[in-house]
Amino acid sequence: MTTAPASASSEWIRVEGLTKKYGTVSALSDVAFSIQPGEILGLIGPNGAGKTTLFECLAGVLPPTSGVIFIHGQPVTVRSRTRTLFYLPDAIAPWPSQTVRWVLDFTVGFFGGRRDLVGDVIDGLALSPLLTNTLGALSKGQRKRVLLAIGLLTSQPVLLADEPFDGLDLRQTREIAAILQSHARAGRTLFLSIHQITDAARLCDRFVLLSAGKVCGAGTLDGLSALARSKGGAASNLEEVFLALT
Amino acid sequence: MRSPKSAWMWLLEKEWRELLASRAWWVLLLVMGPLVGFAFISSVRSYAEASGLGGTATGVGEAFSPLVGIWAPTFSACELAAVFLLPFVAIRVVAGDRQSGALKLELQHAMPALARIATKALILLVGWVIASVPVVAAIILWRSYGGSIYAPELATVAVGHVINAGLTIAIAAATASIAEHPATAAILTLTATVGTWILNFIAAVQGGTWERLASYTPTTMVSDFQHGLIRLDALIAAVTLTALGLGLASLWLRLGVPVRRRAAESIAATAFALLVITAGTATTQSWDTSESRLNSFSKPDEKALRSIAGSLTIEVHLAPEDPRRVDLDRRVIAKLRRVRPDVNVRYQSATSIGLFEQTSAGYGEIWYDIDGKKAMSRAVTAESVLETIYSLSGVGPEAESGDVFRGHPLMARPAKAAMVFYVLWPALIASAAVAIRN
Repeated sequence: MTTAPASASSEWIRVEGLTKKYGTVSALSDVAFSIQPGEILGLIGPNGAGKTTLFECLAGVLPPTSGVIFIHGQPVTVRSRTRTLFYLPDAIAPWPSQTVRWVLDFTVGFFGGRRDLVGDVIDGLALSPLLTNTLGALSKGQRKRVLLAIGLLTSQPVLLADEPFDGLDLRQTREIAAILQSHARAGRTLFLSIHQITDAARLCDRFVLLSAGKVCGAGTLDGLSALARSKGGAASNLEEVFLALT
Repeated sequence: MRSPKSAWMWLLEKEWRELLASRAWWVLLLVMGPLVGFAFISSVRSYAEASGLGGTATGVGEAFSPLVGIWAPTFSACELAAVFLLPFVAIRVVAGDRQSGALKLELQHAMPALARIATKALILLVGWVIASVPVVAAIILWRSYGGSIYAPELATVAVGHVINAGLTIAIAAATASIAEHPATAAILTLTATVGTWILNFIAAVQGGTWERLASYTPTTMVSDFQHGLIRLDALIAAVTLTALGLGLASLWLRLGVPVRRRAAESIAATAFALLVITAGTATTQSWDTSESRLNSFSKPDEKALRSIAGSLTIEVHLAPEDPRRVDLDRRVIAKLRRVRPDVNVRYQSATSIGLFEQTSAGYGEIWYDIDGKKAMSRAVTAESVLETIYSLSGVGPEAESGDVFRGHPLMARPAKAAMVFYVLWPALIASAAVAIRN
């Protein structure tokens, strides 16, 4: 696992002052963090922390109230952001009447995805028996695997995946974590929203801890542990760090 | 894997597949057969009766044209489907992506929202054309009975219904994009339709500006097309409203844009569309494609009316709901406006129905004024009105050339129509639906 702390020079995507308000309620408050190329960044937070809102603001699905996103130091618009980021939402059931095979073809054709990866992704996510099934006929876990396949086949260098392990059993979670790691090793940057801290600890290089719409800490496990200890909390693992900082 | 094709082609294929998967579309297809069939069979029977079958006097049908006797009622089934079924198909296709979450994925492609909504509209229009196949069957059957077909008027009716379908699709697409839920979109679409009916009703009662406004509602536009009349101003209004509907749909389909900005852009787009429509109302160009010249005076009359120098003013003392005024408007004034767009028609009445004005002095009078020379008449027939105008102007028509429309009476029974529309079509659609779903 990469544990090197972030440095200004390695910052690829930087988020500054991101705020999202629904009327008087703040879903995100002055969120700031960075993403480095090729890393697996975990967004950790309890339910209702604002993880999905943060992803949707980054992807341009929701308009942020304020804040700027920089790519290579340049502020970017939603339109140019979509060239860099692909967002895979949680709890969606797209194209329910289409077959898995067609949806994967569509992903490659419509989104300009990676045709060379189709075979590997189908094998890795064990989708072969499902190819002729329609998405509407799949179980929650099967649908999640198809959605992950869509995300992995897209060609944007950064994949934002909201709860990629939701609906998967332990074995599937571990298998998919291995696949995600292999894609990261191949150069893909992954930003994953995960509420299961043990899954996040096993997979991610760095973490952004989010609670009540605010970033409570960002960095490697070592860096966050030091931060937790400085605040007088226990910090032997990510769970303790999370509890100490949020 | 498939051969490379553009993102737009992929989207087109996706929308087509979604349409095929739409139960609402299959229901539309299924219903169209019996709906068109019932209208066609009834109108063929009525046409035959009027033409002399079943004991009525031969020759009654001479004035009949298939446009009014067959195509207007047969295509009315399409109007019914466009109002009550097509919006649900359109809402399903547009709102389905939002409901399933597919929109969040698809909108990450840089394709403009207008291109996406135009693709959906194109597929829906293709779906509508397929649903209109029973009308083609009606045309073939009519021909097989020996019925007359005058292509320009038939094409006008067909085009009118396609334009109406386009407008319906655009309105449904706009409501489906603006509303969060398809049920809300359906209510909004039907509200828009009922709103135009109310406008037509008010126009019939109040006349004046309301009447002018009502002449741009889909019902009136379709009615004009069904009578073989193409009005440029109505065409401009329909195309502009269709573009507005699709434009609004594309504005609201976008994610990540603040509601306030979308609302401001929508208001600007609506204002621009209203400007175009208002400018379009200044155009008076129209084309009568009916074989019977249903919307026109005879050619000698038109030539004579055009040759009248000076301005023509008509002051009508009849209430909006008075049947005489309705007759005058439909059978005379509408034709007169086509020849003399400069004619100034003023209506005078104290009430909307005229029931209690009958005894008022001057009620029922129609005054004609050509450059200060005045004449009064109470007649509302075309012949009487033209006679009054000619006597005032001193201009008269040349003799008729003899090529007067005599009608196409046809004493035929709607043979095989019930089998085609009530049995074969539903069976074909049911089989196709099962085959495609499997």
